[in-house]
Amino acid sequence: MPKAVRILLHIGVSAILALLVLPAFVVVPASFNAASFIRLPPAAFSMRWYGGFFQDPEWLSSLATSAEVAALATGLSLSLGTLAALGLARLGGALRTALYGLFLSPLIVPTIVTAIALYYVSRPLGLVGTIPGLALGHTLLCLPFVLVNVGVSLHSLDPALLRAAEGLGAGPWRVFRTVTMPIIAPGLLGGAVFAVITSFDEVVISIFLSGITAKTLPVKMWETIRVEFTPVVAVAATFLILLTLTLFALLRLFGLRQAKPAESLS
Amino acid sequence: MRPVAFRAVEKSFGAVRALRPTTLDIAGGEFLTLLGPSGSGKTTLLNITAGYLAPDAGRVRIGERDVTELPARKRNIGMVFQNYALFPHLSVFENVAYGLRSRGCTRSEIRRRVEEALATVQLAGFGGRAIRQLSGGQQQRVALARALVIEPDVLLFDEPLGALDRQLRKHVQLEIRRLHQRLGRTTIYVTHDQEEALVMSDRIAVMREGRVEQIGSGRDLYERPANSFVAGFLGESNLIEGSVTRVSGDYAELSVPALGMAIRGIAAAGLAEGEPGAALLRPETIRIGADTAPCLAARASEIVYLGEIVSVRLVLADEREIWCRRLSNLGEVRPGPTTLGWPAEEVRILPIHSNEETREVRHDRSS
Repeated sequence: MPKAVRILLHIGVSAILALLVLPAFVVVPASFNAASFIRLPPAAFSMRWYGGFFQDPEWLSSLATSAEVAALATGLSLSLGTLAALGLARLGGALRTALYGLFLSPLIVPTIVTAIALYYVSRPLGLVGTIPGLALGHTLLCLPFVLVNVGVSLHSLDPALLRAAEGLGAGPWRVFRTVTMPIIAPGLLGGAVFAVITSFDEVVISIFLSGITAKTLPVKMWETIRVEFTPVVAVAATFLILLTLTLFALLRLFGLRQAKPAESLS
Repeated sequence: MRPVAFRAVEKSFGAVRALRPTTLDIAGGEFLTLLGPSGSGKTTLLNITAGYLAPDAGRVRIGERDVTELPARKRNIGMVFQNYALFPHLSVFENVAYGLRSRGCTRSEIRRRVEEALATVQLAGFGGRAIRQLSGGQQQRVALARALVIEPDVLLFDEPLGALDRQLRKHVQLEIRRLHQRLGRTTIYVTHDQEEALVMSDRIAVMREGRVEQIGSGRDLYERPANSFVAGFLGESNLIEGSVTRVSGDYAELSVPALGMAIRGIAAAGLAEGEPGAALLRPETIRIGADTAPCLAARASEIVYLGEIVSVRLVLADEREIWCRRLSNLGEVRPGPTTLGWPAEEVRILPIHSNEETREVRHDRSS
């Protein structure tokens, strides 16, 4: 490829990537704005709205709610998703394909449909406006990510390792704890990261299930931006971006380090 | 040292009969090799011994214990896998210690026994290494140490040398043999490599299509193969097919119309007049330039000098090729027309394979 073409290609690709990513980062300078409205470029640099965020009990409680919901949903989807992946790996043929499709369906069904359905089911059970209710709803969305990540890891697990461990006297639980789990750890970590981010980011199901008693951070942001256009929303958005970046950085770091020995197996 | 006994053990995968009813006894401390091409059932039999596969019928005994229903983890068996199956996330020490930890040994006992096992396979001081830092040969020895350290009743090997280069393979073969002679554990070794089988085994069971064709020492199988399959699988062989015309006493005669001659040789068991058979002429049996009967015209077409021996390709009257080997110091062989001879007592007349019906009949008679 001629050099000029390659340079043009690089510029083109960079421009597309920038177009995809930069709008999200616009909230970062906006959050350091001294003014009372979101404005770009910021009129003057200030930490004023960061103070605002941390002094407002409503923002803090929504952050806490989100954290609790994310922790519960991640724990639940990680356990259920891993069990599902282990089970699917043992199945064969049509049943496996059918169940795999079923587990992935929350990704395909429009979230608003899932949200309305969940609302109808949760209300009579008294789950609307509760943290367990939100966590259960989020688990539905997180599950496919865990299933896919763990499934890929399981694929690289040499079945002879399990037989070797069993032959050396280990029972099923010991085999899982000492062989399967360490080897699929990158998949577990990846699944967990996706689950945390999905839960923290989820807004549609949360709007339906939050009620007035259990508002998650995105729901609080959504409500705030409709009535007042203050940069405190940008602060919240900045936190979400930071959380996402940190988690993905962790994934790169540990996920890759863990994956290496498993790769050398094949 | 516990003996292993199989009684009419069989296994099918769908329509495929991986292992036909097999009865086999392995003496305590014996080194038995299951030798056969892929799909012959040797790995199936190994996995049934280990407890990774349940037989459809039959019993497996180790020592006094019937282990047919016992899960693998309770059989006290050490297995060396084809690709070693070492735990990639654990150190060499932890790999070897795995079986001891599962058995709940104390820390000091684990340390002592792992170090002893590593020393046995000449890897003392390698405990702290990661598996991926080791060469193929070293990994193979870790796998061996991991299987030995639990003091298994039976040691199983599933083609463990396939991944090593030829030079190293020979070295490891001798090492495994010495180790077996020293430790004397009952061993079942699966391979498709005849040389490997000959180097290490007390006895070899040649398998084909899910059954044991013949079992015996390497010498038994080489000198007295039961049929043309065993003869072809173990060692180099020239098999000349024809039909059995006469069986009398120890000898039989095979008529080979293509060569216009009858070949006389020692009759294998189960030979019947009028049935197809094959004459086995081992390369070292054939004398080049012979002038006593039986005498066969041939043309030496290729002469390969291999140091102490010379390998000669001979073309017979019907364009069939056979190979002959002789010691180099017997004089030079020149290309061109010559005559071949052989002592009848070194020729064997064999049935062609052993076919389904005769085997089934024989089985019925014995039971």
